[in-house]
Amino acid sequence: MPAINQNSPAALRYQISRRTFLRGTGVVMALPWLESLPVWGAPAAPATPAAPAPYPQRFAAVFMGNGINSQHWWAKGAGAEMELGKTLKPLEPFRTKLNVISGLYNRAATGVGIHPGMTGNLLSGLPLTKGAVLHGGVSMDQILASRLGHETTQPSLILGCEQPITGYHETNFSMAYSSHISWENADSPVPMEVYPSLAFDSLFENRGSRRTQSILDRVKEDAASLNRQVSAADHAKLDEYLNSVREVEKRVDRMRSDQQKAANNARNRGRPMVTMNRPDNGLPEDIREHMRLMCDIVALAFQTDKTRIATLLLCRDLSGLFYPFLGVRKAHHSASHDDQSADYESIARYYVGHLAYLAGRLEAMPEGDGTVLDHTCLMYLSNMWSGTKHDNSKVPLLTVGGFGGTLATGRILDYTDKGDENRKLCSLYLSLMDRAGVSLPRFGDADARLAGI
Amino acid sequence: MPLRFSFVVIWIYLVARVPAAVPPNSNPPGLEIAFHRTVQPFLETYCVSCHGKETTKADLDLSRYTNVARVTTGFTHWELVLERLEAGDMPSEKAKHFPSDPLRAEVVAWIRAFRQAEATKNAGDPGPVLARRLSNAEYDYTIRDLTGVDIRPTKEFPVDPANQAGFDNSGESLAMSPALFKKYLGAARTVSEHLVLQPAGFAFAPHPAVVDTDRDRYSVQRIIDFYRRQPTDYAEYFLAAWRFKHRAALGRDSASLEAIAVEAKVSPRYLATIWATLNGPEADVGPIATLQARWLALPVAGPTAESTAAARAQCAQLRDFVVGLRDKIIPDVTNLTAPPMQQGSQVFVLWKDRRMAENRRRYDVTALQVEGQPVAQPAAVKTTAPTVAAAGKRPVNPNAATSATYKMALARIRVADPDLTVPADPAERIRYEAEFARFAAVFPDAFYISERARVYADPEKEKSLGGRLLSAGLHSMTGFFRDDAPLSDLILDEPGRRELDRLWREFDYAASVPQRMHISFVWFERTDSRYMTDAEFDPYRPEDKSVTSQEKVRRLAEIYLAKAQKNNASETVQQAIREHFEIAAANILQVERDRIAAEPSHLRALQDFAARAYRRPLTSQERDGLVAFYRESRDTNGLDHEEAMRDCLASVLMSPHFCYRIDLVDPTPRTIPSSAPLAGTQPLSDYALASRLSYFLWSSLPDAELLAHAAAGDLHEPKVIAAQSRRLLTDDRIRNFTTEFGGNWLDFRRFEEINTVDRERFPAFTNELRAAMFAEPLHFLIDLVRADRPVLNLLYADYTFVNPVLAQHYGMPAVTGPPDAWVRVEHADRFARGGLLPMAVFLTANSPGLRTSPVKRGHWVVSRLLGERIPPPPPTVAALPPDESKMGDLTLRDALARHREDKSCASCHARIDSFGLVFEGFGPVGERREKDLGDRPVDTRASFPGGQERTGVTGLREFLHDRRESDFLDNLCRKLAAYALGRTLLPSDDGLIRDMRAKLATNQQRFSALVETIVTSPQFLTKRVSSVSATLPAHARD
Repeated sequence: MPAINQNSPAALRYQISRRTFLRGTGVVMALPWLESLPVWGAPAAPATPAAPAPYPQRFAAVFMGNGINSQHWWAKGAGAEMELGKTLKPLEPFRTKLNVISGLYNRAATGVGIHPGMTGNLLSGLPLTKGAVLHGGVSMDQILASRLGHETTQPSLILGCEQPITGYHETNFSMAYSSHISWENADSPVPMEVYPSLAFDSLFENRGSRRTQSILDRVKEDAASLNRQVSAADHAKLDEYLNSVREVEKRVDRMRSDQQKAANNARNRGRPMVTMNRPDNGLPEDIREHMRLMCDIVALAFQTDKTRIATLLLCRDLSGLFYPFLGVRKAHHSASHDDQSADYESIARYYVGHLAYLAGRLEAMPEGDGTVLDHTCLMYLSNMWSGTKHDNSKVPLLTVGGFGGTLATGRILDYTDKGDENRKLCSLYLSLMDRAGVSLPRFGDADARLAGI
Repeated sequence: MPLRFSFVVIWIYLVARVPAAVPPNSNPPGLEIAFHRTVQPFLETYCVSCHGKETTKADLDLSRYTNVARVTTGFTHWELVLERLEAGDMPSEKAKHFPSDPLRAEVVAWIRAFRQAEATKNAGDPGPVLARRLSNAEYDYTIRDLTGVDIRPTKEFPVDPANQAGFDNSGESLAMSPALFKKYLGAARTVSEHLVLQPAGFAFAPHPAVVDTDRDRYSVQRIIDFYRRQPTDYAEYFLAAWRFKHRAALGRDSASLEAIAVEAKVSPRYLATIWATLNGPEADVGPIATLQARWLALPVAGPTAESTAAARAQCAQLRDFVVGLRDKIIPDVTNLTAPPMQQGSQVFVLWKDRRMAENRRRYDVTALQVEGQPVAQPAAVKTTAPTVAAAGKRPVNPNAATSATYKMALARIRVADPDLTVPADPAERIRYEAEFARFAAVFPDAFYISERARVYADPEKEKSLGGRLLSAGLHSMTGFFRDDAPLSDLILDEPGRRELDRLWREFDYAASVPQRMHISFVWFERTDSRYMTDAEFDPYRPEDKSVTSQEKVRRLAEIYLAKAQKNNASETVQQAIREHFEIAAANILQVERDRIAAEPSHLRALQDFAARAYRRPLTSQERDGLVAFYRESRDTNGLDHEEAMRDCLASVLMSPHFCYRIDLVDPTPRTIPSSAPLAGTQPLSDYALASRLSYFLWSSLPDAELLAHAAAGDLHEPKVIAAQSRRLLTDDRIRNFTTEFGGNWLDFRRFEEINTVDRERFPAFTNELRAAMFAEPLHFLIDLVRADRPVLNLLYADYTFVNPVLAQHYGMPAVTGPPDAWVRVEHADRFARGGLLPMAVFLTANSPGLRTSPVKRGHWVVSRLLGERIPPPPPTVAALPPDESKMGDLTLRDALARHREDKSCASCHARIDSFGLVFEGFGPVGERREKDLGDRPVDTRASFPGGQERTGVTGLREFLHDRRESDFLDNLCRKLAAYALGRTLLPSDDGLIRDMRAKLATNQQRFSALVETIVTSPQFLTKRVSSVSATLPAHARD
């Protein structure tokens, strides 16, 4: 094979940055929103008449499988005086930004057998199909990604800590439904990344726009060589093509150069910058570090506006993770079969701890008059209330963050006794999507918003 | 006749006779003189007061035409002037002065003479055909031909605008913009997501194939489709054997066994085996003896269908006998068990799968019942029965298995069966056993296993778990298992075996099956099983991709086995463990090796793909450039092999070489035979011609045969290109042409999107009926083109094509079958159908929903079929009521009669209405009717221009035949030529149209005559390299 042309524009441009990343020097990013005016992109407009948010809204779905220990999952009061049960204690510093929402459910996930049938449609609300051909519905995070994702380098970020399993469960649902909650359409899940180093690379190497730029470079060469062969009259049409290439190039480039501008601006004014080292290749030995790195990546992606939509599966449904550091011998799924035990409570609390960690990272970054957390909605949920009884007649759900002032926080909302028509998860999703400026007449099994949200 | 007029006539005569005498690129002097003497004063007197510099009605400024050269540059305007003068509606009734009839006639004659001069001057001018992007339809068809999958990437693209001739395949209207370019990028990425890499080359899946579940779906479906295509029904083989036995009686005396097999669509190999079994040395004992006896008892073949039917029924019974007996002697495979290994461990399940696969052509000798002795039960019943533990004591039976295993054994409890009874004498028994072995070898218990529930669990419970295609029978874990040896060994021929092997290998490759199975194994053994929870197993985690490295697989095998040995696992279990890890490691290694070995093949396949996409061979720089781009994607952009391949593919589809049609001229100097070359033009290269021809007749890229002619350099020869065009016309891809040309010419291309019909008033108008209406003209055109029928069938045919729902709509005899069962209906005039005119699609498209529209229908006939250009109505005209039933006493006919009273309306409507009123016998969805929606009887009489009174569609056909047939044929020729050339026509194309008409006349009006004339014309074979009218004097070009 012929040697790569070392002097091609693409090669020169990227050789340096690629080698730098490979040596793991990490990324130094300026924070675009430090300035009070937006540096690039059009911020998403909220749908409610709350104070308009000049900063983009971010949304993350954080998943833990197999339910919680109901004994210790409770909250009383409101706002800064809110009292939290043992499992929710890690969120104490964020009480005023927290909503504890109970009683919501997904009808299509009930009465279909345990595990995969309860999980795959958690974010879509539509019935799942058994057997060899997967079919369900598009998930709400992907709706957001398809409407809002073009404004960022990456439309959405899907991360997990366990590889997908795709065999058949005894209920004849594919285990793919246990492994994925983000679906880009009714038939295909969005691929998830399990390796922190690879997730980091694809986000912070601008891989998406670099690939597009390479393609554009190549076709420009083709067009230029064609132009030399054709008659003068044909030039005009090829010029139409070339102008279109250049226009698109400019837009792709703008994101990167804006970022550079922001970095220069920040440096010139001596403002703080955030740094993160590139995670090592391979998988972290300790699951605590694995989850922490994934939270770091989500936080950094939000802070630097690489993406505004994320899904983080801290574990899978039917999870096989172990927690020796909690003194628990059983793996996650086995432990969930004794959900009232102290062991399982400590597991659930450990996960809430990671939510608190992520919230803390976002809270530590000022943005405008508030913090990144204020412009975010972290939605934490599980596919069941009780892993012992495999009861998903309601699911545990938390939101942290004010979603750009469009979501009231510091509240405890219990829909358990409000009637089945008034406690749909999909109603909550419709409301959240509204707040992000994506207004749909119906979603999943709901055509009404969630009252009181 | 006025003197000047006859002067012009004589001049025309001279010009037509002696074209060479007129110097090229110049106008006859007489024309100029006549212009200044007659035409220019005419304009000043009667025209420019409205169409001049101060007042420019309809944007037409006639004052600028001060000499003939200027008229040349604005000839499209002058076509309009000619039409209006001839129709008599200009000058309009509001004008102050009107020309006398003779003067009007003189000007008309001049314009015609001018046009004639233009036509002759530049006859054969290929015209301005610029580089243009593929239209959306062309892009979709091309992608379909390139990938084999109808991906339709332009689904979300904006609709392409049409050019003046009404077609969207022209550089005149197709443009590129940054917004559209971004969509092109999206489309290229979409296509690249369908890419599936294989051990040798690549293919495209019918859906995106990026996520593992989608790769599984694609690969599994291909294997299942292959299985389902194979003939595996014993009854079909018995019947084929019977046909062979009685071939003389069935009139197939000389047929060979193989020929009979081919006709019966069964495997010749296996039929030979069956034949040998049925007719071989007489077995005197055992199942084959029984089979042979029953075979001999089959009825003798007779000439009637009944005897074959009887034979068929008995062959089915024979099959049932074979299958029933076979089922009773299938060997059992008892679940392996070795606590603390979990029952559902992959080690056990795959071991069982392998044993079951080996048994497909074996039988269980213990199933045979010895005469006089009690029936022996399967050993498993005893060995797997759960033992009751003594109080406080552990169960003694070390092989105590799950209740599932015991239940499986219980299901095999045997009862006395004469078919299985064998003699007590051992010597006799041996003969029986040999016969049973032969029987089992010829008749496997299954040729292939297409799905499995959990193979170690209670089969009763597992019955409901269907649809697990090619599954290995595991619980939760990813796992597939191949069990189809009998298919390969007995039925498939060598190519079939190779294909099946390839499909499984491609499955492993595309979906990384061995790796994912092993990762599942590790997950299961650490969680559901808890076997691997000891500290020594900690380095082996399912999230960690390195767990599938050869080293880690081997080390895991060692410690896994060691633990089993410590727990007193039997030798069988230990062997199963060793086997499991050996096979897993080997399969993983195979995929890894395939991946490395495949890379060069992928790059070659990419180069081949690019050549097909660019519709010509690549230069060596282009081939190298593709490889260099691949390397850049790998090294600079850090992509893995598959991602880099997708980007390379996307870059090919984004290249202007693919998405633009650029006609390059032939670099070698040559001339077009049979016509003098026009200055400023050059012949097109053969590759450009190949594309031009294929995009004309298929709206898609050229195939291998066309490209071979281009490579051979003979495609431009008239005989060759004519023969190729005839070949393309009969190819299946001509349906693309009928959709694009027919759909746009007759304005129904987007009919499937219309929603003007009120479905409550017309509940018959379902989506299925709409689709059928859309397809009727396409079927008609496809038949006309492929069978090369006379083009006037479009108007006069007494046949049409219907499917079940359309037949019902038309009141025709029911058509049975699925929606895509289309039949030709002869004598369709019995139902008032036949040809294009009464087709429901046009009648519906030209109705506003709750009433018919004679104006729209009439306009469709005169503009689309006859090529007339009717100006739009003035903005102040009142609309007709939308709902016919609410019009009171006034019929539509009456309302339209007012058109004729008002002179300014009559000028156009006299030319339209009658053509639409004849269709009043058809309602708003093209249904036949006697009464309109206001319950008044319909009246289909019409007064055609020129005073003819006719009735109904029949009357319309008669009128067209009498007076307007030439106009129809001219229009068809013009439309086809404009479509083929990708531009609106020029006066210089008049000669081509004349040639097309002449060829039609001497070839029984066949459609192919039109196509051949076009593709052998200079317009098609050459290209303008500089402006043809560059020799105009400078002052004339403004």
